[in-house]
Amino acid sequence: MNLPLRLPRPRVRRPWRLAAEASALLIAVVVAFPLYWMVLSAFKPAGEIESSEPRPWTLAPTLDSFRRVFGQQEFGRYFLNSLLVAGTVVVASALIAFLAATAVTRFRFRFRTTLLIMFLVAQMVPVEALTIPLFFLMRDAGQLNTLGSLILPHIAFSLPFAIWMLRGFVKAVPEALEEAAHMDGASRSRFLWQILFPLVFPGLVATSVFSFISTWNDFLFAKSFIISDTSQSTLPMALLVFYKPDDPDWGGVMAGSTVMTIPVLVFFVLVQRRLVSGLGGAVKD
Amino acid sequence: MKLAPRLAVLLAAAVVSATACAPQTSDNSSSGKDEKSGTLRVWLFQEVDTKPKEKVVDAVLADFEKAHEDTEVSVEYIPVETRAQRIKAAFNDPKSAPDVIEFGNTDTAGYVKDGGLADVTEEFGAWDEAKDTDPTARQSVTVDGKVYGAPYFVGVRALYYRTDVFEELDLDVPRTLAEVASTAKQVRAAKPGLYGLAVGGAYTYGAMPFIWANGGELATGKGGSYAAAIDSAAARKGIEAYTSLFGDDNCPAAKCAGMGGNDTVTAFASGKAAMAIGGDFSHQAVEAGTVKGKYAVVPLPGVEPGSVAPAFAGGNNIGVLKSTSHRTLAVDLMKRLASKKAQADLFEAMGFLPTFTDVRQQVAKEEPFVKPFVDTLAAGTKFVPASPAWATIDSSQVLPTMFQEVVSGKKDVDAAAGDAAKKMDAAFGSAG
Amino acid sequence: MTVSPSSSGGAVRGRVRVRRGTSRSSPRPFGGASRTPWIYLAPALVVLGGLLVYPVYQLGLISFLEYTQAQVSGGEATAFRGFGNYAELFGDGEFWRVLLATVVFAAACVVSTLAVGCALAVLLTRVRAVPRLVLMLAALGAWATPAVTGSTVWLLLFDPDFGPVNRMLGLGDHSWTYGRYSAFLLVLLEVVWCSFPFVMVTVYAGIKAVPGEVLEAAALDGASQWRIWRSVLAPMLRPILVVVTIQSVIWDFKVFTQIYVMTNGGGIAGQNLVLNVYAYQKAFASSQYSLGSAIGVVMLLILLAVTLVYLRLLRRQGEEL
Repeated sequence: MNLPLRLPRPRVRRPWRLAAEASALLIAVVVAFPLYWMVLSAFKPAGEIESSEPRPWTLAPTLDSFRRVFGQQEFGRYFLNSLLVAGTVVVASALIAFLAATAVTRFRFRFRTTLLIMFLVAQMVPVEALTIPLFFLMRDAGQLNTLGSLILPHIAFSLPFAIWMLRGFVKAVPEALEEAAHMDGASRSRFLWQILFPLVFPGLVATSVFSFISTWNDFLFAKSFIISDTSQSTLPMALLVFYKPDDPDWGGVMAGSTVMTIPVLVFFVLVQRRLVSGLGGAVKD
Repeated sequence: MKLAPRLAVLLAAAVVSATACAPQTSDNSSSGKDEKSGTLRVWLFQEVDTKPKEKVVDAVLADFEKAHEDTEVSVEYIPVETRAQRIKAAFNDPKSAPDVIEFGNTDTAGYVKDGGLADVTEEFGAWDEAKDTDPTARQSVTVDGKVYGAPYFVGVRALYYRTDVFEELDLDVPRTLAEVASTAKQVRAAKPGLYGLAVGGAYTYGAMPFIWANGGELATGKGGSYAAAIDSAAARKGIEAYTSLFGDDNCPAAKCAGMGGNDTVTAFASGKAAMAIGGDFSHQAVEAGTVKGKYAVVPLPGVEPGSVAPAFAGGNNIGVLKSTSHRTLAVDLMKRLASKKAQADLFEAMGFLPTFTDVRQQVAKEEPFVKPFVDTLAAGTKFVPASPAWATIDSSQVLPTMFQEVVSGKKDVDAAAGDAAKKMDAAFGSAG
Repeated sequence: MTVSPSSSGGAVRGRVRVRRGTSRSSPRPFGGASRTPWIYLAPALVVLGGLLVYPVYQLGLISFLEYTQAQVSGGEATAFRGFGNYAELFGDGEFWRVLLATVVFAAACVVSTLAVGCALAVLLTRVRAVPRLVLMLAALGAWATPAVTGSTVWLLLFDPDFGPVNRMLGLGDHSWTYGRYSAFLLVLLEVVWCSFPFVMVTVYAGIKAVPGEVLEAAALDGASQWRIWRSVLAPMLRPILVVVTIQSVIWDFKVFTQIYVMTNGGGIAGQNLVLNVYAYQKAFASSQYSLGSAIGVVMLLILLAVTLVYLRLLRRQGEEL
């Protein structure tokens, strides 16, 4: 994979570069500090999180908070459910968005612009307001208390953004390629899946990050649609347990959050390279 | 993968139902059935550590299943944070709904108005244990003279104070609300690092006793027709008394105006306050803090020496859902879950105070810590207006806003109380 | 927006040269049948139609009705209120105050997020691999944190009694959430913290896709950093900046969790309310769905207006959707 545009390190003079690197590291520390504090609080013993002598370390690290998190009934089940929901949403929305993005970029047809604006508008709907109509939809379809009731709305809510982002990637694939494929006698679906799809793949990875995060971190649908069957619950529900109105358990909250954040970080690190090269594709008009 | 066909069905359904046009409602009338066997579903609240509660409940269920042939009970412990969605959703989808639920007592009127809870007046009246239920607890399951459940436990607040600080400064335990204020200021003057009495602008339940002790009410009326009374002279006196505690001479407004009940307890537990108004349920948090062994609790005094300020009686109830198809069984289960024996066991396991006066007296003897709370309950407690409008008033933060407006100097007591009363009346009016 | 032909893209693995502008008007090899785009769009349209358009339609409908929990659960009949809910909303002085605060706050968030994100993206191109990776990972971490947790942690960090920030800055027990503006500032910082990574990573990726010769030429001409950004990079990155700006506007206008958690549901006496939190408290928490729907519709219309104006401006400058 030859990324062509390795920036020729512009003639930045050495002291300037060192200053830039120093500030980059400093900023990284500032940005990471809240994360550090989260993990630290997860390891602090109960009385130390809210002590009047806040220390950026702890002398008595304990796994108590994590034990409370993992000790919940069916925690593993929640974790698997979350993975299943997020995985399905990522794959399904990527495929559907790929097709739709191809349609709106490679074809000219009536209502194309209208559709594009509709996709934009679709993102503006305040989700909280939609839970009521969605609830009834799910009920009438008999999907309440199933993972389907989480998967479907999340696909719907990630699609518009994914389509918008993917447009740039599909556009970047030269039309000459399409002509060539046609000359070689490739069918339309062969071109779509065997030529276009692999070329756009980095872009799909980049957009998947968004659907993954929003699905993984969702509280709203999980608490609205999974009513009577906790075996269908997802991770955020295991976190909410610690936000007790009278006596919130910050250690548990932080430990739960740490556990929840790690898979996303792993996912990020895995796709980091592709994410950057992928998002870059959007600049191609 | 069974998912795929289901999704297809749902998509088809989505398309089909798009032709319907009115927003949906549910038919939540009672099912009319009263089956004598089958499976009963129960929702109870999850606790940080639910195990002890489970044990108590499991014992009740074992007896219940023994008494009724061919019945099974499945219990689910739902997170408190999501209870509002869950329970509303259950009203909307009787198929997902349980037969018996635990619910916060301030929600009673709202749930009744939503048409979710079954009227159990008759059964409650015929229940021999019910005669010992304390009057405020009974009030918390009563709407318009009808009973919609059985009280499960109560929670009540009292005055926590630091014995070491009081000893060092040679202070007496305050005997009136005025003395609470003056003692608080003395502490603050002598120890500027401490709040005298930790108060919070968003701590409604901590503020209510000040209003009630001064003879004020939140609202007056009965049944459906309530009218705000928060702007009466007596209530304003209480508001004045509470808000005067915000200031550099006790609890600086900049920090205390935004605090809620939990924040004040945390401040106390971490040694930042000489006094705080905390609940029996705050006990564990305080014990885990730095003040362990250096504090005591007394009932929050009233205006007259020796009196107790009326406290807010929080807590939970057990109710039967209107949509149940096992009404008789469900009511029986409700009674068993909230029975004297079960409540005593629950206290043993979780420290939740029983709602029966006799059981409460008994446990107070065994566990001296709960005595001030039991005394507070015995002195008479009060409850929020039993109107569905209370949910609106509570969630739109009418009272915290009022206190905070006064504390931050945005409005004076009269103006803030007047505005709050207007908002409350609007809510009472629209809720019918 | 034309990227010069020499910019074979990362997205297409560089093997194929971009030749654009030629075939847009010519008959497309695969684009002939007018049914084809609709076939490709069908799955998306079915999903969106069923799960977005239809619920939005219901939302609009509900906003004209008397629709509370009592109606939902069938306790009372639904009644048509016409514009009653809207009248109630527009007649409430607090609504206008909240609306103004929302617009100003969202604008501040968008501007700060874009500024920080773009500045750090440029910085990323100026440093070697290790510092770049470190900063990138820190940013991704901030991005990955659930909003609820992020808000809670920031609150703990800035807590007047228990937080380390006041210690470090020597602020004693200054309370950040008491003053209206300082509370908004604190929330803004958190919002920027969790949303700049998206901008940074996207813009950085965009810069990397800009052909090196262009930058080199500019640098040889002796242009300053700021000039290079203004006259070379920013115009080339326009399509990316458009996406990033629109997304930020949409997200920041709908901010909910941060305000709700950090200012405890809207701040002292409601001073930090924004529309979404206002709708939640006024309507959803107390089940007055029709009022909440009306607020939702108003929000939708405002966002729509902002975006359409923005798109029109772009179009006037020759930008195409």
